[in-house]
Order: sequence, then C-alpha cells, then structure tokens
Amino acid sequence: MADLGFKGNTVRRLREVHVVAAELGVAQGVGWAPAHHGELLQGTFADDGTTSERRTYRALVTLPLPHLGSRAVFHPSQDHWGVIGTPELAKVRRAAVRALREFGGRPGTAKGGQIEITSDVPRGIGMGSSTSDVTATIRAVADYHGVFLTPEEVGRLAVAAECASDSIMIDDRVVLFAHRDGRVLETFGPALPPMIVLGCDTDPGREVDTLAMRPAEHDDHEVAVFGVLRAALRRAIALGDVGLLGRVATASTVLNERYLPKPRLAELHALLRKHGGCGIQVAHSGTVAGLIFPPDARDAALRCRDAVRAMGLPITCLIGLDETTTEREMVTA
Amino acid sequence: MTVRSAFEEATDAYRLPRLVRLGPNLYGAAFTLMKMVPARHIIRKALADGQIGPDTVIIETTSGTFGLALAMQAVHIGRRLVLVSDPVIDERLYRRLTALGAVVDRVPAEAGLVPGGFQRARLDRLDELRGEHESTFCPEQYTNPENPRSYASVAELMVEALGQVDCVIGPVGSGGSMSGTTRYLRSVTPECRAVGVDTQHSILFGHPDGKRELRGLGMSLMPANLDHTTFDDVHWVSAAAAYQSTRALYAQHALFMGPTSGASFRVADWYARTNPDQLTVVMLPDEGYRYTDTVYNDEWLAAQGHLTPSLPPEPDVVTDPTVPADGGWQTYHWGRREHPDVIALAVP
Ligand SMILES: Cc1ncc(COP(=O)(O)O)c(C=O)c1O
Repeated sequence: MADLGFKGNTVRRLREVHVVAAELGVAQGVGWAPAHHGELLQGTFADDGTTSERRTYRALVTLPLPHLGSRAVFHPSQDHWGVIGTPELAKVRRAAVRALREFGGRPGTAKGGQIEITSDVPRGIGMGSSTSDVTATIRAVADYHGVFLTPEEVGRLAVAAECASDSIMIDDRVVLFAHRDGRVLETFGPALPPMIVLGCDTDPGREVDTLAMRPAEHDDHEVAVFGVLRAALRRAIALGDVGLLGRVATASTVLNERYLPKPRLAELHALLRKHGGCGIQVAHSGTVAGLIFPPDARDAALRCRDAVRAMGLPITCLIGLDETTTEREMVTA
Repeated sequence: MTVRSAFEEATDAYRLPRLVRLGPNLYGAAFTLMKMVPARHIIRKALADGQIGPDTVIIETTSGTFGLALAMQAVHIGRRLVLVSDPVIDERLYRRLTALGAVVDRVPAEAGLVPGGFQRARLDRLDELRGEHESTFCPEQYTNPENPRSYASVAELMVEALGQVDCVIGPVGSGGSMSGTTRYLRSVTPECRAVGVDTQHSILFGHPDGKRELRGLGMSLMPANLDHTTFDDVHWVSAAAAYQSTRALYAQHALFMGPTSGASFRVADWYARTNPDQLTVVMLPDEGYRYTDTVYNDEWLAAQGHLTPSLPPEPDVVTDPTVPADGGWQTYHWGRREHPDVIALAVP
C-alpha cells in the first residue's frame, strides 16, 4: 500500500546519485519535491486556534501525492549573473535567485546558473505543479551549496518566490500551513492516517490560474467554522479517524464552493454515499476532487472509480492502493 | 506536542466547560459560568473593533449570570459597567457584582404589573442610560449575533474531545448557547440533533407568557438570538422536576450545578437511555453555590412543595405546543421548524 508517511524516499535516492556525481567532478545540485492532490482543509484561521483571537491567517492542510513530483537540476555558473530557465518557469527563476541570495557569501557560491526541471505533475488543475517545481529548485540550489534547509526554511523561500505555496515541502509531518506567510500554524501529527483517496479532474480541459485568483475573504462566521473544522481534524489525525477526517474535508469543500465551484460535485457526493465513502476533498485552487474511503474499502473504491470514469471524468490518483492498481489517465503534457 | 500553559486572565480560565462522562453515551459540559463564553467574546471583539473606547461605559440589562460575566471582563479591561436589573435581584449576586465595581440599576417594582413586565421596563431604562453617557457599548445578548457565534469555541472543544456528537441538549434563554453550539457542531456533523429545554409559561416555544418559578431558562419576550430551526425536540420542565434532578445530578455524579443544569440533565439522562446509539452532550450552565439555601436545602424544597410529585420517569408527549401543562415534564417534536410555522399549525 502506498504510504502517505514516506515522502522523503525519492529525494534521498536522488541525493545518493548526486554524491557519486560530485566525486566524479560533475558539479551540480539536485532536488525533488512531490505533488499533491489539493487540500483536506483550507480557510482562514485564528493564530492560536481560538475564535476570539483577532489576527487571522489563510492556511491549508495539503494532501500530498508522493508518487508524482518535480525534479530540478541546478547547473551553476561563476561568470553568469542570474538564472536561466525557460520563460514559463518564472516562479522557478525567482526561487533560484532567492535561494542563491540566501547562500551568498559562502565560499564557492555560484553567481547564477541554469535550472532544469523534469516533472510528471499535471499543470493548472490544482496538483501543486508550481510549488513542486519551486521546492525542487530551492532544494537543488541548497544541495549544490551543501546546505541543509529545514522544511520551514524551504517553505519560507517558496512563499517568497511564488506568493502562496502549499506545504509539500513540510514532508515530515502533517501541518496547518499559512500558505501566504510561509508559517506553520499547527502540527497535527507525524502522518495522515491510512486511507484511500480516489482522485479525478472535475473539469477536464480547464486550467485554473492560481496567480489570477483573488484570495478568499472569509467572514467571522466562516472563521469560527474553520476553527471547529481544525479541532475536528486535530482529533481525526491524532486518533486515525478517517470518518471524521472525511467530514472535515467535505465541510471545507462545501465552504469553498462560494469561491471556486466544482462542476458535478453533487454527482460525486451521490457516488460517495452510494459506495460508502466518508468524505470529499478538493483543490481549493484547481479542478481536482478526491473521494475519501477507509483504508480497507478497496473494492468499494475500485467500483467507485469505474463509476467516476463512466461520468467521463479522468482519474488523477488512487492514493492508498498498491502501485499496480495506481494508474494515471492524465496526459502529463 | 503542545505544553500546558497558564491562562491569560481569570475570564479565560472560566471560559470553557469541563466535559464529564455521565453515562455510556452521555457527557456533561459543566461550566463554572457559561455566560462567560459570550461575555468575554463580545467585549474583546468590541474592544478590538474600536466599539469600546477608553471612556466607554458598558451597559446591559440582566439580572442573571451574563451580568456577572460582564462584570468580570470589565475588571480586566478597566471599564465601567452599569447593569439594569429587576427590583428583586438575588442578594448574593448583587454583592458579587458591586464588589467587582459594577453599578446595579434596579427598575421599580411597579414595572412588573404592566405587559412585558420587568423585561420591558429594563429595556426602556437601558435606552435612557444610553442617552445619559457620551460613549456607551451595549453587548445586547438577546440580539447580538456574536452571542451564538462565541459558542464556536465550545463546539471546538466538544468535537476535539468527543469527535462526532449526535445530540446536544441544553436550556434555552437567549437561545445563544444552544443555537450557536449546535450550528457549529453541525458544520462537522450536519445530522447532529438539538433538544431545547424550556419551562411552562415561557413564550419561547409556544406557551402564553405566565408566572414561572424556574429561572435562567425561558423568556417573556422572544429573543432574536433564538434560532428555532435549530431544534429537533423541545421539552418543558417544571421547577419541581428541575430541582429534583439538580439534586440527582449531584447525588449520582457529584456535579454541583444550578437548576437549569438539573432540568437539562433530566431530559438528557432520559434521552441518552432511550437512544443508546447516540453520543449525547448536555449543557450544564452554572454551579450550585447560588442555590445552596434553596435547591440544595431539603427543608426549603419541602416547604415549597417541590418534593412532590416525585420525578417523572419520562416526559408526556404533547401535540399542541401552545397549551402549557400544569407542571411536570412534557415534550414536543419541533422538527427544526420556524416558530410561526409551528404556531400556525397549532392554532386553528
Ligand atoms: C444558568 C443559566 N442557564 C441557562 C441559560 C440559558 O442560556 P442562553 O441564554 O444561551 O439560551 C442562562 C441564561 O442566562 C443561565 O443563566
């Protein structure tokens, strides 16, 4: 069973390859970062978790997708100032420049260089392609300089580069992440409970421009609701209660409809009920949605997958089922 | 991962209830002073929003625990508080309020003889006082939407400690606690049931206004903060039944609470037994200290005739919510309807 708790594996594997490469005199930095499948919860939260507190943060809980990701290779240059990258990778360039500035002053610091991205994360549907690229880039530059960055430091640099980042770089625990401030508001636990998530694209062909989206404006009542959902998720993760986790995700999904409605959500809800699922999560800035099932509901999830396909919606992921049944129908252009 | 920390101030310490198991599927939310939840929230929000300035006088009409909670919060922020009360305010409460520096302004006894009674007279006096001061802030617990909203913090605690709550039961006065707590519980569990506890001759759920002995729940005027569509069922509990079950709560569970807690416990104990598959939480709004000479005094109970008839084992189911029974314990299936919709059906 693919485990949501093991997100660092691939990064470590690539690093090993790199050590050998460095010994051969090939100087480059490599980094990797996973994709995600939207959020389990996203909203506006009081800093200390109580509704009377006035300072609020927009924050989210990411659902990581470790079998997809972006790989960045940093080729340094001593005579070239700035960072070369293909034009569509503006955020990646910014991330690389930020990271270079961060490590500037060390012996052997690169002045600039080139970033090469290889990614199998679908773009524009809310699976975190952008943050994945940016995080991989920051890690690649850090890797070249032999710098260890904590997940929070990577998060801060990523937010500086792209304004708002999901929390895939915080890969050693489940957090409530202030995605515009680069701050961890709360750590819920080491990993999400085992569960199955059947993902699909609710609006195939449509791309959501994250940068063009206006940030959600939640009123006092909604902030109060998010406080309750946060408390419920705290319990769900601590006790491994997938049913409660599903309820939190559903509530967050319903609240999000005011900002970025998902077509055919009602049909997906009906399927969820019919097949005994426990909740529905979405990308709050994208088109993907995921139906959440208990970890032992494999057969129900597979039957539901066929029903989703019959609706004409492409399957984006099947988290929590073993690799052989995990398939992607997405065209990763 | 989190360390226990000290409370910022006394009202913070009093704010949240203790959740106590009372049966296989029943938990009590035992408050020191439930009204601290809206009082603290409303005052802090008004301060943050600039509605309370350096010279603002806080004015509210109350004879009950909301005033006490406001008086405590007023101490923390160093503001003057005037409370407009009935002529017959509990002497001990009066002393606690004035010892905190609050001014208690009592309406004259004759006000009780006109329609609307003391409640009307208090609202009129409040308007007068507002005119007398340069800057005033009125928390308005009966109409301020921050009253129900403040109970999100209580729902947070319940959801974190108990997970899915299937039914919440509690007394109804302003309606803030039950409407608010239920609304926020339903953000996670939309099917969560709500059972309101009222007393005979309170207008909240259909009875004509009349003399009531049980205080703290029930009203003579309809509060805007009562959202009738919250409630699946309504119960009317007499003073005698409430007092007896207040003592039962103490004797059986060592929880020293007030009579609105007793009334709610009566309903909740029965409800949890008849619905063993539902995780039920009962609101227990205040402690027993104010009632040591009355509810907790056997001679007083006997002299007032509150020991007979003995506690009914189950409620009478009524079909018309507009006709009050003579004491005892009744229930009506409200069905999350608006007040006029229910009353229109009942009155031919
Ligand atoms: C002791 C006690 N119980 C119950 C209530 C009713 O609560 P609410 O006003 O939130 O409906 C009150 C209200 O004053 C009260 O003082």
